[in-house]
Amino acid sequence: MPVPLGYYLGLAAIIFTVGVIGVLVRRNAIIILMSIELMLNGANLTLVAFSVHLQELSGQVFVFLVMTVAAAEAAVGLAIIVMIFRNRESVNVDNLNIMKW
Amino acid sequence: MNMGESFPILTVVTFLPALGIVLLLLVDKNRQLLVRNVALFTSLVTFLVSLFLYFKFDPGTGDMQFVELYSWIPSLGMGYHMGIDGISLFLVLLTTFLTPIAIWSSYNAVTEKVKGFMISILALETGMIGVFVSLDLFLFYVFWEAMLIPMYFIIGVWGGPRRIYAAVKFILFTMTGSLLMLVAILALYFVNQSYTGVATFNLLDYQGIQIPFNYQIWMFLAFALAFAIKVPMWPLHTWLPDAHVEAPTAGSVLLAAVLLKMGAYGFLRFCFPLFPEATIHFIPLFSILAIIGIIYGAFVALVQKDVKSLVAYSSVSHLGFVMLGLFALNMQSLEGSILQMLSHGISTGALFLLVGMLYERRHTRLISDFGGISKVMPVFAAFFMIVTLSSIGLPGTNGFVGEFLILLGTFRENWLYAAFGATGIILAAVYMLWMYQRVMFGKVDKPENQKLKDLSLREKLILVPIVIVIFLIGIYPSAFTSRMEASVAKLMETVNEKYRVEEVMPQVQPRRDFQIDESQLEVSTHSFGGGEIHRGQ
Amino acid sequence: MNLTLIIPEIFLFLWALLILFVDFFTAEEKKHRLGPLSLVGIVITVVLVVFSGQGQAFGEMFSADYYSLSFAIIFLGSAFLAICTSIDFARERIKHQGEYYALILLSTVGMMFLAASRELLSMYVSLELTTISLFVLSAYLKTDLKSSEAGLKYMILGAASSAILLYGISLLYGITGTTVLKGIQAELVGSAFPGPLLVISLVFIIAGFSFKLAAVPFHMWAPDVYEGAPTPITAYLSVASKGAGLAAMVRVFFGSLLPVTSEWIPLFMALATMTMVLGNIVAIRQSNIKRMLAYSSIAQVGYILVALSAASELATTSMILYLLVYMFANIGAFAVVIAFYNHSGTDEICEYAGLSRRSPFLAISLVIFFLSLVGIPPLAGFVGKYLLFLAAIQKGYYWLVGVAVLTSVISLFYYMNVVRQMYFRKPTKNDPVKVSWSLRLALVLSLIGVIAVGVYPDPFVSLISKAASVFVY
Repeated sequence: MPVPLGYYLGLAAIIFTVGVIGVLVRRNAIIILMSIELMLNGANLTLVAFSVHLQELSGQVFVFLVMTVAAAEAAVGLAIIVMIFRNRESVNVDNLNIMKW
Repeated sequence: MNMGESFPILTVVTFLPALGIVLLLLVDKNRQLLVRNVALFTSLVTFLVSLFLYFKFDPGTGDMQFVELYSWIPSLGMGYHMGIDGISLFLVLLTTFLTPIAIWSSYNAVTEKVKGFMISILALETGMIGVFVSLDLFLFYVFWEAMLIPMYFIIGVWGGPRRIYAAVKFILFTMTGSLLMLVAILALYFVNQSYTGVATFNLLDYQGIQIPFNYQIWMFLAFALAFAIKVPMWPLHTWLPDAHVEAPTAGSVLLAAVLLKMGAYGFLRFCFPLFPEATIHFIPLFSILAIIGIIYGAFVALVQKDVKSLVAYSSVSHLGFVMLGLFALNMQSLEGSILQMLSHGISTGALFLLVGMLYERRHTRLISDFGGISKVMPVFAAFFMIVTLSSIGLPGTNGFVGEFLILLGTFRENWLYAAFGATGIILAAVYMLWMYQRVMFGKVDKPENQKLKDLSLREKLILVPIVIVIFLIGIYPSAFTSRMEASVAKLMETVNEKYRVEEVMPQVQPRRDFQIDESQLEVSTHSFGGGEIHRGQ
Repeated sequence: MNLTLIIPEIFLFLWALLILFVDFFTAEEKKHRLGPLSLVGIVITVVLVVFSGQGQAFGEMFSADYYSLSFAIIFLGSAFLAICTSIDFARERIKHQGEYYALILLSTVGMMFLAASRELLSMYVSLELTTISLFVLSAYLKTDLKSSEAGLKYMILGAASSAILLYGISLLYGITGTTVLKGIQAELVGSAFPGPLLVISLVFIIAGFSFKLAAVPFHMWAPDVYEGAPTPITAYLSVASKGAGLAAMVRVFFGSLLPVTSEWIPLFMALATMTMVLGNIVAIRQSNIKRMLAYSSIAQVGYILVALSAASELATTSMILYLLVYMFANIGAFAVVIAFYNHSGTDEICEYAGLSRRSPFLAISLVIFFLSLVGIPPLAGFVGKYLLFLAAIQKGYYWLVGVAVLTSVISLFYYMNVVRQMYFRKPTKNDPVKVSWSLRLALVLSLIGVIAVGVYPDPFVSLISKAASVFVY
């Protein structure tokens, strides 16, 4: 018996929510970046699940492109984090308070 | 009339000052005298051209004359539509008449950033004339708003010590009102579209539609708020004393003489013909506010220590008269109001000029700093006397005719309003004459006052035309009223007609056709019985 | 498949690579010439955009129509102006100028694809191309603490908002089974009861786009990023990146979600109200002009959202026109700020005291741009606001327009505060502010735009209304 669609969607929603909470709660920039990846993967899982359920391929194509984009985003993100670390020896976003947040 | 088709005279009058700005931009800013002369010359030419309007004006018709109509943004129905009738004619002339005077009066008073000042004044003139000649609501709004900016700068840059506060208050008050008017204009556009299917902002097209009463109420209020702030009606007047006191003389003159008239003009041009039912519905409210304004302004003027703020509060009182006359809504009162608008422009403008001349000499405006000035400056005192009397409304001067007609017209509609209004005249005499006495008579007890120079030739030349106009209106008012009559009658007809069609028709006997004829004025007043019924509710 | 349609995009992309290539062989002190070189590329692209034909390519993924044309012109225009304002700034304060210009061009390519896209997948990818370039650009001052902080904040919130948007898209895909906007619309017309899943997906999509547009309550990144980023990039961000968000948003909502307007219009109304009120009120108490402009640009988005909730042809016309006039006024204002910063190294509003004496041209330009932003006739901003309000009144949203009008009055207050400093106060220094040719070009172009659109808007309105007619309302 195949796993029902709802299970996938539920799992995806949970992953996405975990990601959102991570972005909001965690203070380390790298962990925030990882949480964003979780959010993206939550969306990816939804896309794939629907794609299989609907027998329609564009969802899966979408996922490939999202993964590529996520990699680009992570690369730029890490670069910026490295730059911040060089400037102030910390990647804690609480310290980013030169301007009012 | 025929001129309008061949030669775009209204465009020329409106944009001549703007052309002057272009000229000014080419002049080196350090050559102050040249800058001043260019500005004065431009405004004088504008005045001369605008005189043409007076002589070519056809008093026999209440329709728009010198009409220019071009499409501007055809996709949305905005047009470049200008024209004047007997109501706007004199306001245009008032503007073009007073601008050169204001410019000339500033020759000594404004010494810093002269070029900027002259540019602002000329821009203001274009805006003011534009407001009076626009017949397209979009165009009207463009001028209405655009005019605020030069005035803001005139107050804020060349004003007195509290100028920033005054400038900000001025612009916030007027913007609030005019933006709500914008909403009403847009709503009007769609109401018209739903009736006629035509997308247009043309005012004359709007006059043909019957707007539902509940819409009228809201639109009337939105328009009226903008205009009431401009007039200003009590309790929206608080920006006025600040603006007047802080503005430089030329700014005060134009503010009092022309800008305030825009409010009253707006009621005449927009509120009455477009929303007649709402107008009649709100007669009691606005009449009472006008009366409060008359009395409040007068009492506050009475206790002012500063001559300029005294004049400012007297404006609140005088404009209360204008509003009372407007909302009495009959021929006499409306003509009286228009005439009073002119008179107030002339007399109050002159008062501000005189106060400015005094201020240039003494650098104070406190009444208590003066006394016995008539002994040192006899010519000045004479001019001041004439203007004071005209402001009080002495028979033979301009102030009398307007106030008399207003009270006469109001009396017919509601004697109580007229009675309260009349107290304003008495109070005006009290505060003006008391002020005159304290400033001019008595001993010269301050040493600074002893060696004040009397008026220079320039100053005399500024005041003489004003005095001429004061007596001209006072002695020969029909030169003015004859050109208004047809237009005012047409306005009354529009208001009555629409009102009758909407509500009164079943109850009222068919009345005789309206004629523009003194003997028929009775008819127009009586046919207004519908208004009475409404007010009784 | 019709490759000729994407020639402008391909050309601009190649030009960006050319910049990188030339950069490699250019001596450090001559690198500022890369700026004018990128300007040339933009001008050629504009010509290509105007003269390349209309049609569709790659299935539904790319559609060259009046809509994409208008947006492409706005994006290219703002890139042009932003580069004009960058040249001096970059020469003095930025290392790696070649990459800087190339990134601006690449981001513009992304925006052009975005406006032309009628399919969610290509839309998402172009949106990311746009924003990732902008992440880098906003962190471009490598040693500047504020800039790197701005870059990080923009990156985190931008990426998170993309993820939120993507999640919304994935749900929408699940409901309708397609990523093509037309297909989505067809599916939605058929379904009588929009389920809760659709509502959730709409909420996510709106939230994602609201981040991009900096609409309240998703605006908190904007002031920091705008303050910290290099000022020319701030100018570019505030116009082009918002425009990109808007282009995509209008495509999605008017191109596919019109059958379910009742689900999203109330949300937009709420967003519009909050954005106008908060943006304008908070702007009052800013002492840094970049931050003030950031809040003002948040507020401007509020006005655009008013029209978005009107969802009509007139609304689309008004939004695009508003974006156009906003581009001129806002980049123009930033050009003044940049000129002033290049000279004096400060962005504090109180330092603008007496600018009218020091540099009358700068001062009067800033006044004109601000007045246009407030919406005073006869400047372009007035026409823009007029049409926005017209669109909203057409649908009977009187209270919404009322809020817009009252907040406009509030906006007058903070813009006039700067004017007050410049005109009503005496200068603390007397040296005139130098303005280089490139900044002067940007200023003059913006001034011409602000005045021309204000005085004679008809050609613009009729072109843009063609753009608005690509949707079936």
